[in-house]
Amino acid sequence: MRRVVALLLAGGVGSRLNVLVQYRAKPAVPFGGIYRIIDFTLSNIANCGLTRVAVLTQYKPLSLMGHIGDGSAWDLSGRTRGISILPPKTGEKDWDWYKGTADAVRQNLGFVLSRSYKEVLILSGDHIYCMDYGPLIRFHRDHAAQVTIGMIPVAWDETRHFGTATLDDSKRVVDWEEKSLHARSNLASMGIYVFDREYLVATLEETRDEDFGKQIIPRALGEAKVYGYPFDGYWRDVGTIQAYWDANMDLLRPGSGLYPEACGIRTNQVADDLPYDRPPIKTGGTARLISSAVSAGCVVWGSAENSVLSPGVVIERGASVKDSIIMHDSVIGKGAYVERSIIDKEVLVGEDSVVGVGDSGIVNARFPDHVYTGLTLVGKKARIPTQCRIGTNCIVYPDVLEKDFLAPWLKDGETLEK
Amino acid sequence: MKNVLAMILAGGRVDELDVLTFLRPKSVLPFGGLYRIIDFPMSNLMRSGIERVGILSQYRPFFLINHIANGQPWDMIGRNRFAVILPPFKGREASDWYKGTADAVYQNIEFIRMYNPDLVLILSGDHIYSMDYQEVIDFHLEKKADLTVAFTTVPREGAHRFGQGLIEDGGTRGGKLLGYTEKPKKRLSDWASLTIYVFNPTVLLEALTDNAKKESHEFGKDIIPSLLGNSKIYGYKHLGYWGYTRSLEEYWRTNMDLLGDATPIDLRSWQIRTNLANREIQDRQPTIMGPSSTIDNCLFYSGCTIKGKVSRSILFPGVVVEEGAVVEDSILLFDTVVGREARVSRAIADMGVKFGHRTTIGDRDGELTVVGMDASIPEGSRLHQGVTVYPKVGARGFSKTEYTAGEIIR
Repeated sequence: MRRVVALLLAGGVGSRLNVLVQYRAKPAVPFGGIYRIIDFTLSNIANCGLTRVAVLTQYKPLSLMGHIGDGSAWDLSGRTRGISILPPKTGEKDWDWYKGTADAVRQNLGFVLSRSYKEVLILSGDHIYCMDYGPLIRFHRDHAAQVTIGMIPVAWDETRHFGTATLDDSKRVVDWEEKSLHARSNLASMGIYVFDREYLVATLEETRDEDFGKQIIPRALGEAKVYGYPFDGYWRDVGTIQAYWDANMDLLRPGSGLYPEACGIRTNQVADDLPYDRPPIKTGGTARLISSAVSAGCVVWGSAENSVLSPGVVIERGASVKDSIIMHDSVIGKGAYVERSIIDKEVLVGEDSVVGVGDSGIVNARFPDHVYTGLTLVGKKARIPTQCRIGTNCIVYPDVLEKDFLAPWLKDGETLEK
Repeated sequence: MKNVLAMILAGGRVDELDVLTFLRPKSVLPFGGLYRIIDFPMSNLMRSGIERVGILSQYRPFFLINHIANGQPWDMIGRNRFAVILPPFKGREASDWYKGTADAVYQNIEFIRMYNPDLVLILSGDHIYSMDYQEVIDFHLEKKADLTVAFTTVPREGAHRFGQGLIEDGGTRGGKLLGYTEKPKKRLSDWASLTIYVFNPTVLLEALTDNAKKESHEFGKDIIPSLLGNSKIYGYKHLGYWGYTRSLEEYWRTNMDLLGDATPIDLRSWQIRTNLANREIQDRQPTIMGPSSTIDNCLFYSGCTIKGKVSRSILFPGVVVEEGAVVEDSILLFDTVVGREARVSRAIADMGVKFGHRTTIGDRDGELTVVGMDASIPEGSRLHQGVTVYPKVGARGFSKTEYTAGEIIR
């Protein structure tokens, strides 16, 4: 594995995650109580013995950079191991923003060429999965491939979000489509590519291709040996609000296949900027916790059912939370009720408020293609007044304050911006 | 700010803590669902800005060395910051195990000289409290004292187990120390020593050198009485919570002080840190609660799986409570497994203990039942109150299914 360099493309905007990506890149979105989405890929990298990694960032990289730190949370720091964060930089032109995934790699060819690597493993920081890249690399070498793509079957109605391929009996890619509305195959690209370094460098130097899925792979099909490596473990693209919610809920479902601790997923817990370590979870005499995931530092006097609670969440007396994701240090005030909602960090839900209850047939008016499955989003640091009723498919923007509410309610499908 | 060197006496094991200190010094005994007892003085030092610490240890120091990790968890790594373990070493003339608290410091006199501090702060590694040591240091400097001893009040019935100080009336923060007796048979005062000492180094080094020629080498029993009358000794009154853990019952009760509405131990404002790398605490996923679990009035960390019913208990990372099991009034250390339909009451289980299916451990009243590290209780066993199980005892150690108070299973 020391001949392989990993490039983690963490620049994705993930705009369909709406307010969750208002302040952070998609890979930095919190997941499963204590993790961020990128932890899964970073841990996979470390666990399979890769020692040199570059993380390519571009969009709102601050929380991502703080989270990665020096990489020591994943044991990726030391003399012979390291994690480098590569933001876009001034090239020959004034300022070269990455124009696409392939362009991002092209602008960092110096890193790829800095040591005698044989293969380049290109990963995305957008997915929830546990995978040993070792067998993938062996597969690539055994087939003497120039390019190997990690692939997984997805539901047919999801194929339009992915690159899809047809493989022959030897697993060679014979047909490729990028985000096709009527795909011929439901075998989707996981956004994982192994390239022979020589081939990758030559292609990037000789062409102006900007995107792997749209340009580099179709080109390679005609001129090189491209193989598909089928993966059959747990893998989720959490690019939509519903998919994100579903994957979080998998943590609570025995048999879902998602067991982050068991497959060695690590995170950086000390980047929270607290002067102390999160204390253990405290429950009062009236607390009820059922089918939920609860993280350190939570204080529960009320109840939570089928929910994921991040560190430091407070559920006060008489408050209850159902089918929801509540992120770090949010407070659910006395007597409040929260259902089917995703509550970002440091939100206050005022006493006796109701959030997320309504007619899920009424989709969000402003973002009908983001919020339409009967979930409500509340952005970071928003403060919901007491006795407020917020319907379903609603969006409350980050930093909205009590006084920004013109009425003590938000109807189904409404959005409130600061 | 004065240049203060802290020395923590962390070596001891305590007979009354029985199986809990068979394999570790008391200072690394787990406490409060996450911490080790020594985290409290270490975090106090961190918050007090005292970042040069020597830790004196001789009893099974591996766990302590592993936990302290050169001070990194408390930000005590840097050019002028450190937390080092000082084990006993072989002298030129003899191999010298520490023969007492004063002897432990005496043997490290060169360590003190090397750093040439303005003051030496001596602490013990086994109490649960929050204290800004700068306040006692300020008091010490104000009084131009040679030695300041910190005291607190304890209930009279247990007071004979502490050093007691007679403090001159008048000062709310403290006053001249008029008398001191270690573990007196007859009550001297309500003020019990916290074993927190602020020393002027010259006075300390002299007293230690004098004491070295004698038979007994303890700060409380020997050093303080020898200085009384000759030096300026002050008593400082600490008014906050002070939790001690010298017996199983005290250890249990101090843990239970964390539960309920108004706990005297505020882990957030006390800013307690621990070593999150120890036992992979930082890699534990959130605790998963099952569909019919209950967990009221408890303290528990990430990494647990709770499918049964838990009340008034403290669970450390990795505890598993299976379906139908009931846990109440108990302390379960790291990775304890409570099998299906087992019942655990008023028990302390050390790390890695396995309670088999349908075991009944402890009673709702009476003595605590204590199970040592990695012991495994066979299915269906009944251990009444006051039973002790030694570490690593497996099924073969059990000759019958029922054990009564006072029995010890080895």
